[in-house]
Amino acid sequence: MHSFIPPNQFVAIKLPSDQTRIVKLVPDSLVQLGKYGSFPANQIIGRPFYFTFEIQDTAEKDGYKLRVVSATELHAETLIEEAEADGEGEDQPEGSEIPMRTNRQIVDDASTQTLTLQEIEELKKEAGGAGKEIIAKILESHTALDQKTAFSLAKYTLRKRQKYLKRFTVVPLDVSTLANFMLAEKDATRTMELRDEHIGLLGCFGNVHYGGDSHNEESTTDGLPTTKPNGRYYVVDETGGLVVAAMAERMGILYPRDEEEDEDDGEEEEATDSNEQNPTGEDSNAEAQGATSTSKRKRPQAMSASGNTITVVHASSQPNLSLLKYFGYDINTPDENHPLHTHLKTVTWLQMLDPAVDPILSNRPAEIPPAELAALKGSKRSAYHFKRNRWERIKKVVEEARAGSFDGLVVATLLEPASVLKNLVPLLSGSASVAVYSPTVESLVVLMDKYSTTRRTAFINNKRDLEAQSTSGQTDIDLSSLYEEFELDPTLLLPPTLHRSRVRAWQVLPGRTHPLMTGRGGAEGYLFHGVRVIPTTANVQAAGTFRKKRKLEQQTSTPTPTTDQDVEMAS
Amino acid sequence: MPTVLRAFDDKNEGYKEGKVSNTRFGSFPHSTLIGQKWGSQIAASKVDTGSRGRKPTKRKAEELDASTGADDDSASTKTPVAASSGFLHLMYPTPESWTLSLPHRTQVVYTPDYSYILHRLRARPGSTVIEAGAGSGSFTHASVRAVFNGYPGEKPATKKQRLGKVCSYEFHEQRAGRVREEITEHGLDGLVEVTHRDVYEDGFLLGDPQTGRSPKASAIFLDLPAPWLALKHLVRHPASGGESPLDPNSTAYICTFSPCLEQAEKTIRMMRKLSWLNISMVEVQHNRIEVKRERIGLDCDGIRGATVFPKTVDEAATKLREDDARAKRFRLGRSADEETSAKEEASSLKEPAGPLYSVGRLVHRSENELKTHTSYLVFAILPRDWTEEDEQRCRQKYPSDKADNNDRIPAGKSRKQMKREFKELRLKEAADEKAKAQQPAEETSEA
Repeated sequence: MHSFIPPNQFVAIKLPSDQTRIVKLVPDSLVQLGKYGSFPANQIIGRPFYFTFEIQDTAEKDGYKLRVVSATELHAETLIEEAEADGEGEDQPEGSEIPMRTNRQIVDDASTQTLTLQEIEELKKEAGGAGKEIIAKILESHTALDQKTAFSLAKYTLRKRQKYLKRFTVVPLDVSTLANFMLAEKDATRTMELRDEHIGLLGCFGNVHYGGDSHNEESTTDGLPTTKPNGRYYVVDETGGLVVAAMAERMGILYPRDEEEDEDDGEEEEATDSNEQNPTGEDSNAEAQGATSTSKRKRPQAMSASGNTITVVHASSQPNLSLLKYFGYDINTPDENHPLHTHLKTVTWLQMLDPAVDPILSNRPAEIPPAELAALKGSKRSAYHFKRNRWERIKKVVEEARAGSFDGLVVATLLEPASVLKNLVPLLSGSASVAVYSPTVESLVVLMDKYSTTRRTAFINNKRDLEAQSTSGQTDIDLSSLYEEFELDPTLLLPPTLHRSRVRAWQVLPGRTHPLMTGRGGAEGYLFHGVRVIPTTANVQAAGTFRKKRKLEQQTSTPTPTTDQDVEMAS
Repeated sequence: MPTVLRAFDDKNEGYKEGKVSNTRFGSFPHSTLIGQKWGSQIAASKVDTGSRGRKPTKRKAEELDASTGADDDSASTKTPVAASSGFLHLMYPTPESWTLSLPHRTQVVYTPDYSYILHRLRARPGSTVIEAGAGSGSFTHASVRAVFNGYPGEKPATKKQRLGKVCSYEFHEQRAGRVREEITEHGLDGLVEVTHRDVYEDGFLLGDPQTGRSPKASAIFLDLPAPWLALKHLVRHPASGGESPLDPNSTAYICTFSPCLEQAEKTIRMMRKLSWLNISMVEVQHNRIEVKRERIGLDCDGIRGATVFPKTVDEAATKLREDDARAKRFRLGRSADEETSAKEEASSLKEPAGPLYSVGRLVHRSENELKTHTSYLVFAILPRDWTEEDEQRCRQKYPSDKADNNDRIPAGKSRKQMKREFKELRLKEAADEKAKAQQPAEETSEA
């Protein structure tokens, strides 16, 4: 990830009002910040992130009009206060009589501010840029200022500053920034009100991590990997791609590979061409060399990576991963150099459950012999190749997804979680983690109940009874009645746990430390976690002599897990 | 009697025959574990007690190529009534399971905290993390998973790419030694570098405190009693004139973990003095939720865990009526025969609907013992260094006066044009393409 502001990528700009704007920094363009003014994008491109700039009215002679605000200046107020507090502490012995300021005398009335709106407007015009003068003037003219307590004074200056200071901070647009942006300023329900703490937990509970280097994008034809685990995850994501982005970030495939990290700052051009320019440039090169088809640069096939991949199972015919565009990956016009191009695979639920009726998979394009193909018109030929490749690609991805042995399942979905787990948990390899996020608790409570101890015991007993009924010669036991009663196999996941996590923010100022007074309400957010296990068949039989006794006990017990790793009696 | 139990013994498969792990749920010779699939349920074996030996030597059985986690083959087990029919599940190691089973030495940073911290610290594959106060090693393992992107020396880097690493410092010599042992046991050598060091005094350079290498860290986690004393070493230009432990080419993210408010306040004060930005303090409140079925009703007699109490007002009224009737009969001198009363009772008590597991109302509640406070987390950011020269170079590269309002309109136009040209090119190229057609072509052909 960059430490300086890259051109042609999205960044977040924080304004004094605590608002965030997401801006794509195109070189030679002008960035508009509403009432805070505007500035040329060139003046921040290449500079470090997290710098705070102030828009000045009078530009330097080369047109540069931004000033970097130093950290000392940003902290000035608090630093002074702290120093004062230290000084007081030395001078005054404990408990000495400083008249304590209270808000008893304060009259809450607009008349305390003697400057009129008009005057302030004029001031703004005169003093122009810095805003600090205005704030000072306003503070001066506030008649009741000396009556304010330190607390309300700080509040007052802060409010005024937010209104008049033309400052902004440039922040890299990563998953955390985007999540908070969606939460605070966009429609939070679009991302299912996912917060930082949920994203962190989802990744840890899902055991999502970098799963081995597999840059053999071009060679994999049948490539099921040999080593396990190799970091293949199912993701069910109805947050517009935020969960996919978060998981990709953990796996190291979210950000475009940039070569500039280790080297000097000089070579950004190649790495930072915009998505559209890049392939264009390559192709024209290839054509210039007169190489039309034979010496064409091999491009990585989409969805071809064999490990460290995310397989998104989606409910519509196209996945909604629109938020990935902020990370330089537009699902409709994918950038072939982006790691997600090869490591992100998408499968519909229909393809998962019943590939035979899928409109794309069931229509296998007829193969045309090369000789015939050569005779075809160019456009027809390309259409043929396109269809053929798409079919092959999807077939491969679907086969892989259906074959299973994946290493984890991460879910944030509007679907009933139980129905997702019913279909995907059996496809996980043993010991793979399952993490489900839900903004509200109800669906997860139902899910927990589906994996409850009593249910599991009943399932095992019923299954055994069914097996006992069937004659020994029968190999296939009809378990359909079992699955009618039990929506999902409760023996496949242990130990089901349900979590809630919330971060509480504090204000830390000298003598005024306390939790923030207000915060975001809305959905609390809950996480379900379990680990896929492989129940043994033989052992259960062997322990059969104790069944009756245990069954009795089982019925009386309620699942009262005490830690993450509880395992309840299952047989 | 609670039948839900837990046992988390870190189990290590050994190559030696006869190595047995004993749990309260039975004995498991490792020969029955090796070669089994992860996640398998494994039956306990009857072991000759004479041969049981708890060897201190722990060996890991398999190189867990991509798995970065701790290598405790955590086995969670459950015993039925008789000890001879226990079983366990063989799980592959994760930092989470290690956190739950690790030998406690100090306060442990638990999953809700470290998951949030690592997310906020932007610890990603390829990052370098400084951890001071290795403590019990919980955070160490979690952070290795986060930054892992290959073992050093595994293969020649195809491209210049930094490998993720954790530099762990511990003041306590014995603990440092223990962490080092665990790291080796878990196959994390080369990914974690444990240094026994007083970081307040000697800073964070690897090797020699004065002249050693810089870890070049971009994320720092301080779990120290006095983090503010260590902060003076974590600057871009240390006063001692030595190398900075921070990565000069990246933003530094820091998190300190202090249980007391005073510690956090002092830390923040120092951070302000040292020009850290975006300082914020939070606490993570996490709890686990239990889900159970609440069974209330007069028909629940005989079911354990259920409350025998009227479910509704109607049920209560019915009960009162019945009681009254019974009392009347009793007063009448038992003239009414037993039969009818028995019948009545039978009719009033209905069979519980459905199988037991689906009876009752589904409820959720917080776990009984809450961790209401773990620690205050202080986060801050230190931007990379920026010199006047850098600024001038940037100004040359991106002339600041190049953007004015006139520029913008043609820019928009040309973008559109570019798109059109790009599409045309794509079409052409698609026509020429023999080997493969690409996603973008899909757009053109379908459009």
